[in-house]
Amino acid sequence: MKRWCKLSALSLATALLPWSVSIAADIDGKRLQSADKEPDNWMTYHGTYQSWHYSPLDQINASNVSGLREAWSHVASRSVRGLQSYPLVADGVLYYSGAYNQIWALDGATGEVLWHYKHKLNDDLVAKQTHSPYNRGIALGYGNVYMGTLDGKLAAVDMKTGKMVWETKLVDSEKLTVGFTGAPLLVKDKVVIGAQGGEWPSRGPIFGVDAKTGKQLWRFFTVAGEENNGDARNTWLNDSWKTGGGGGWMAGGYDPEKNTVWWGTANPAPLYDWSGPDFKTKGARPGDNLYTTSVVLLDPDTGKLKGFHQELPHDAWDFDSATGEFVMLERDGKKYTVHPSKSGFVWVYDRDGKVQNVWKLVKNVNFVKDIKPNGELVGRRDMTEGKHTNLCPFIAGGMSWNMGSYNPKTGLLYKVGNEWCMDLEIKKTTPILEPAAQLNIGADFNITHPQGDKAHGHVSGRDPITGKMKWEVKFPEPPLASLLSTGGNLLFVPDARGWLHAYDASTGKELWSHNNGQGHNGGIISYRAKGKQYIAVMTGWGGLAGDDYATFFGGTFAQMPKDSGVLKVFALP
Amino acid sequence: MRLLRTPTLSLALFAAVAAAQSDKPGPMQSGAHAQPAANQPSKSDAASQGAAPGGDFDVPKLFATSCGWCHLSGGRVAGKGPQLMGTTKTDAEIVARIVNGKTGQMPAFGSTFSGEQLQAIVAYIRGLKAS
Repeated sequence: MKRWCKLSALSLATALLPWSVSIAADIDGKRLQSADKEPDNWMTYHGTYQSWHYSPLDQINASNVSGLREAWSHVASRSVRGLQSYPLVADGVLYYSGAYNQIWALDGATGEVLWHYKHKLNDDLVAKQTHSPYNRGIALGYGNVYMGTLDGKLAAVDMKTGKMVWETKLVDSEKLTVGFTGAPLLVKDKVVIGAQGGEWPSRGPIFGVDAKTGKQLWRFFTVAGEENNGDARNTWLNDSWKTGGGGGWMAGGYDPEKNTVWWGTANPAPLYDWSGPDFKTKGARPGDNLYTTSVVLLDPDTGKLKGFHQELPHDAWDFDSATGEFVMLERDGKKYTVHPSKSGFVWVYDRDGKVQNVWKLVKNVNFVKDIKPNGELVGRRDMTEGKHTNLCPFIAGGMSWNMGSYNPKTGLLYKVGNEWCMDLEIKKTTPILEPAAQLNIGADFNITHPQGDKAHGHVSGRDPITGKMKWEVKFPEPPLASLLSTGGNLLFVPDARGWLHAYDASTGKELWSHNNGQGHNGGIISYRAKGKQYIAVMTGWGGLAGDDYATFFGGTFAQMPKDSGVLKVFALP
Repeated sequence: MRLLRTPTLSLALFAAVAAAQSDKPGPMQSGAHAQPAANQPSKSDAASQGAAPGGDFDVPKLFATSCGWCHLSGGRVAGKGPQLMGTTKTDAEIVARIVNGKTGQMPAFGSTFSGEQLQAIVAYIRGLKAS
């Protein structure tokens, strides 16, 4: 009854006040193509199709950010492994997802709850999952909030009522154990979403689904493709493609001019191979293992492979390309797509997927000696069965899945880098498929400090094409949350210990900080509601990288809860 | 490095295994639009060491396959999960944790392992030495 009253009051306010929470104009693919013209909103995971994670809003800026204060917050129930998702905002309403496939809709100005959706899950299945129960983001479109679920479905929830409109089962999670945790991407009248995979003996598909009806329209197998769509089975000898891993577990990008979806794919399984340098003919999965650890260019209407680049042929280190935004930008009249990956390298492509440059963002890399500007790997470290020390970076990556930010005013790409390494003992494994699939690692391993250094992280501002660094700030532990830069010449960095920092985007000078009380491991956005600019950031600790911090870094991480999540929202007084 | 069977484990452990597994789900669920695991190898192709009752069960290999994601260095070092070497948990507690998991911390392996295989895992943990 109380909720009804609030909604009624809200509807009345909507009718009377043009700047209040309003009935959203339908979000469709066309509206998303010009999302950069709507600075009040943040309607898709990467902000816009340019994937800049940038807000042009400048009400909060370098000269007044010292006055930034918490405006409101919202506590998310059952936040096991914290809040790892991204808030989205459309027409004054903030939507966000949390653990166990929950979604909330809140008044963007006050935080008043408009509705709460709890997806009905198979609890026994979720209990068996390792990369779970977090959700990393949602999509908006055609009156729906779209979310991939832990049990392998894509669900559409009504933006106004919070009621489920349809759900479509896409992955047999009961057999494969994994489902969806990454955000969907609305492209035209379709929802594109990639499955988890990587460590699991499957084939990690990416799906195209009708945004209105939920009907599955196409499927692209990131492992070996299919006979009529990128058949690459000859890059997996001994039928190893049948259990090859892959997947596309983070939201990709879209280039409307070329009508091309860009999606990063995950690593092959097992993660570590005992083949040594003869990986083309020996080991667990002989061959280059297409299309794992690759960037694939897909036709959003058909799912047909238009092109690809395998960033790490026969990835033997779990440095998949599923991480990393596809930053679409223009420089001197030429259009580029910039893609950071777990390996610690950043690939620069033209819009047809041809490599234009590769540059290194982290110092501690020795899985290869280098990667040439044309993408060629130099001095691969292909390991054999047995013990190996000081492999860098650590399995969690030189960069993790958290997003960077590109600021068109400074021309800089801001990105977190991780400096850490590992020891490992590679062992021959065989995939476990019954009664349900299990991880297939291929090694025992342990996190270590880089030789002659201490593990740490950094955030730097760099030229996105050349990698030339303008400034860098170091952190005692790698931050694991995404970044936000704004038209107010600000860069926001949510760190691992719980501090939210604001830096001068041009110089890296710290201008403001606030302790949110627990680590950050999710998204951050800016939006405007009722004429006021807000910064919204996810808090809550835990996750596949953060879970190692308590034992490796100790300190405050030893006491930090891993079942707590709060959305914090800031504004000027 | 294959682990020998451990017939000396108590009957109480068998009881613990039975109790821990008794509350696990039965048939797998499948949705109306479920896609089958395309072209997956058959059970015999897979030689899945975790689910071959009576076959060789290699616990160190199992750690390098699945458990080592959280229990580092074969269980000798704490990582995402605790150090297993020197654990003060009872055999029954270890079995219950493997079978039932712990929300947000350890997946439930349910009926993946037979009672005999669970015994072997416990024996492996008890035998861990610093490397």
